[in-house]
Amino acid sequence: MTEEPYRWLEAISNRREDIRDQLKGGTPVFALSRPEGLLLVGVGQGQSKVFEIYDRHAFAALGHPVDIEKVRQAAIEAAHLEGFNRSSRDVTLRRLISFSLSSNLKNAFEQVFSPPFILEAIFAELGQAPAQDILVRLHYDGDHHYETSGVLVAHHDAQSEAEAAAWVLKNLEPKDSLNRAANLCLAAWKALTEKRTFEGLAAPSEKPEAISGRVVEIALLDRQLTGPVHYRKLDYP
Amino acid sequence: MTGDFLALLPKDPPLPPVSAANGLPAPLHATTVFAFHSADGVIIAGDHRATAGNIVFSDRTEKILELDSHSLMAIAGVPATAFEMARMLQTAFEFYRRSQLQGMSLPAKLRALSKMLRDNLPAMLQGVGVVAPIFAGVETGEPGAKPGIWFYDPLGAQFEAASFAGSGSGSGAIKSVLHYLETWGQPRPAEMPLPQAVTLANRLLMTAAEFDTATGGVHPKEREFATIRFLSSQGIRNISSKEQEKFWNEPSSK
Repeated sequence: MTEEPYRWLEAISNRREDIRDQLKGGTPVFALSRPEGLLLVGVGQGQSKVFEIYDRHAFAALGHPVDIEKVRQAAIEAAHLEGFNRSSRDVTLRRLISFSLSSNLKNAFEQVFSPPFILEAIFAELGQAPAQDILVRLHYDGDHHYETSGVLVAHHDAQSEAEAAAWVLKNLEPKDSLNRAANLCLAAWKALTEKRTFEGLAAPSEKPEAISGRVVEIALLDRQLTGPVHYRKLDYP
Repeated sequence: MTGDFLALLPKDPPLPPVSAANGLPAPLHATTVFAFHSADGVIIAGDHRATAGNIVFSDRTEKILELDSHSLMAIAGVPATAFEMARMLQTAFEFYRRSQLQGMSLPAKLRALSKMLRDNLPAMLQGVGVVAPIFAGVETGEPGAKPGIWFYDPLGAQFEAASFAGSGSGSGAIKSVLHYLETWGQPRPAEMPLPQAVTLANRLLMTAAEFDTATGGVHPKEREFATIRFLSSQGIRNISSKEQEKFWNEPSSK
């Protein structure tokens, strides 16, 4: 099959379609750069979607749980080896994503005889100030981009993902509490999963969004913590 | 996935083993460290001196190392080996916690240090890597768990201390005083509140320094105090020099 280039292209195209189909079962995850730190929000059904990677690094993803786990473990291994051999300051998302994770994802995606990774992910790196925070959106095929607006959403549909991010950004004030920021994410989560439009969607108050039958996961890469570890889980509501 | 960070590291050391008989300079030694139970938790303390033979190499050495939020290692012996061991354990504990989504148990942490000492046997036999650490830790996720103190021989045998432990060349004097106080003291160290226990720790190091040239760097009159950490079920608290000075000057802690 692969001896004919157009067949390979067709196989890749089919593969992309198949992955997108499988990702439709996943629900979105969010990351926001706030004065207090980097806030990550996910909603699951028992399995975690938000994880600590290293001292100043976290990860949130939707997709196949096994693939999320593989990428998580790979990121943790690479980060800890780098941190041990050099220092924790040398563990950066730019190197982790560009030189390790994205190339492996791209290879897996293009090897048409082996299974690809089925996931859409966000990586977050805490800076000393919000302007130095780094958010990276990583796709199943290794493609990735750095988000500078301070709001990042990962969802299976690119258009609704962009609409959700724009809506959160529009409704988020610099002085908003972490609770309100999390509520905005959860309101956007509800709208995305119920396939509602963001046009005219009212921003929620401080009151927690009710999400029944699911586990809300909220974590903060806390800028105020003085030790090496900055990741901590927050209770919700 | 085992959560074993050490399995990711290369097996062969980057340099071939050497012998002290090959004309190497005297290896550095870090002394003196000790730990004891106080009323609210464990005090673990050390002086600041590192020596090479009869040379004072440094009077600013940090010998109490935090391995994670609930465990500490006090090092006595060859700093190069001890610092590397501490760094490996720090990374291994955090790696396990992050990769396995649960903290390593206290017995597993104790075993990890024991195994690392055992693996250091060739360097120890060559006389260039002897380390005799003290470990203080408390189980995480167990409300009301009490912190414990363990000490090791350089081969990796592990012993739990009922009241106190000491290591390094100045530890003999310190252990003698602690034994006396635990037996006949009023109050005993195990009954002392934090300010009094911190002042005792500084006095113990000053006592050791009177008899051991390898112990030093604690001079309250010059506002130079010991390295002291306090471990309780809440985790680790660093007792800063400023706080130690305050306790030192408090009449109640004398």
